[in-house]
Amino acid sequence: MNKIANLWLGGLTGVLMTAAIYMTFVYVPTEADQGIVQRIFYFHVPCAWVAFGAFGLVAIAGIFYLWLGQPVWDDLGYAAAEIGMVFCTLVLVTGSIWAKPIWSTWWTWDSRLTTTLILWLLYGGYLMLRAMADDTPQVARFAAVIGIVAAADVPVVIVSVRLWRTIHPAVLVTRQGGHGLEDPRMVATLLVALAAFTALFLWLLMLRFATLRMRARLGAIARGLNLAQAAAGDL
Amino acid sequence: MAGFAAVLRKDLRLELRGGESLVALVALSLLILVVMVFALDPAGGVRDAATAAGALWVALILAGVIGSSRVLLAERDNGCIRALIASPLDRGALYWAKLTAAFIFMAIAEAAAIVLMVLFFNLDFDWRLMRMAPVIALGALGFAALATLLAAITGRVRAGDMLLPLLAIPLFVPALIAGVKASGAALAGAPFAAIAQWLKILVAFDVLFVSAGSLLFEYVIGEE
Repeated sequence: MNKIANLWLGGLTGVLMTAAIYMTFVYVPTEADQGIVQRIFYFHVPCAWVAFGAFGLVAIAGIFYLWLGQPVWDDLGYAAAEIGMVFCTLVLVTGSIWAKPIWSTWWTWDSRLTTTLILWLLYGGYLMLRAMADDTPQVARFAAVIGIVAAADVPVVIVSVRLWRTIHPAVLVTRQGGHGLEDPRMVATLLVALAAFTALFLWLLMLRFATLRMRARLGAIARGLNLAQAAAGDL
Repeated sequence: MAGFAAVLRKDLRLELRGGESLVALVALSLLILVVMVFALDPAGGVRDAATAAGALWVALILAGVIGSSRVLLAERDNGCIRALIASPLDRGALYWAKLTAAFIFMAIAEAAAIVLMVLFFNLDFDWRLMRMAPVIALGALGFAALATLLAAITGRVRAGDMLLPLLAIPLFVPALIAGVKASGAALAGAPFAAIAQWLKILVAFDVLFVSAGSLLFEYVIGEE
């Protein structure tokens, strides 16, 4: 892996994340209606952004893998799915923490919550496949197909879940995002947090991707050694 | 087209000459509906139309997970799948044949399940069922399209039987939501306009997964 790129991306993530934490806890004014708990919004939204981006990347990597057949695309898709899953979990957790005091419930079947949960289940299945199967080109193709199909399913999920909830009377549908951010400091904090989480995502992606590439190389070397050993045994 | 017809004819004949899939599928649907009656304890009548529709869709999903993968997995025995792949048969045609066979089996099981649902939930045999029929048919087609593609994957992975529902059910969610809503409304006697929007989602889902399956099937079947 490129050490310099690692250092730069890691440093950038550190600086941006420190700024995001400072702005979230000190700089940004407390929201009038919701109070202190609204600050979780500046972590919640970037997590969602990263999760959706990562899952999009899984599908794109899947298409390129099926098209070109190069293992790098498979490793990229795998790394993105793992990291996307972590951030998708964080979206659900931070959302629940916020919802308890504001909606006085941990969970409600609001359209966005439901969609995120379905997404979490979809990519959970994808990772289960990867965990249960061996590392072969065949399984890589399977994973690519599932990544593509899952992404294609998402728009239909969004439409159907929205219809499901607008037809049915929902008790709680207003969300923080609906109010808009009145204070420019809020917008600035959100933007910095988005940049910080994007940098964190890219850094983690690079590290994980490099690990997977290394593992592939190690596998190739081990196979070569085995072959050499077998050949030596024949003599 | 000839290849498609040949594979489909073979699958149907296999089932007619003592295949147990269909019997097992209908028996499973019956059992699930019985379980749902115990679990939900419906009072009966039109008031429970939504409950009945929900129970029917649970039966459809569970029977679909087990039933539709059988059609493809049957080819594993004796290495038939290798012969199919080696034959000049187009992979897309193979997918369509397997999908059609799975759909026919699911549709028969669903027809039986609808009759049982009417009996168990104290509903009436009337025009409402006719309005529900296209909803169920579209749902079965979507599930068959999805499960045929996924079964080609999970059939070749360790513990794949467990994996199939984990992958299929989340993907099926949009069709499930639309199907349950549309079936419930149809059973309660709602006008066609009320279920039209759900039918649109079901059609979109079916088109999406049938085309995705046709396009992607060649990548999951084939070289070991």
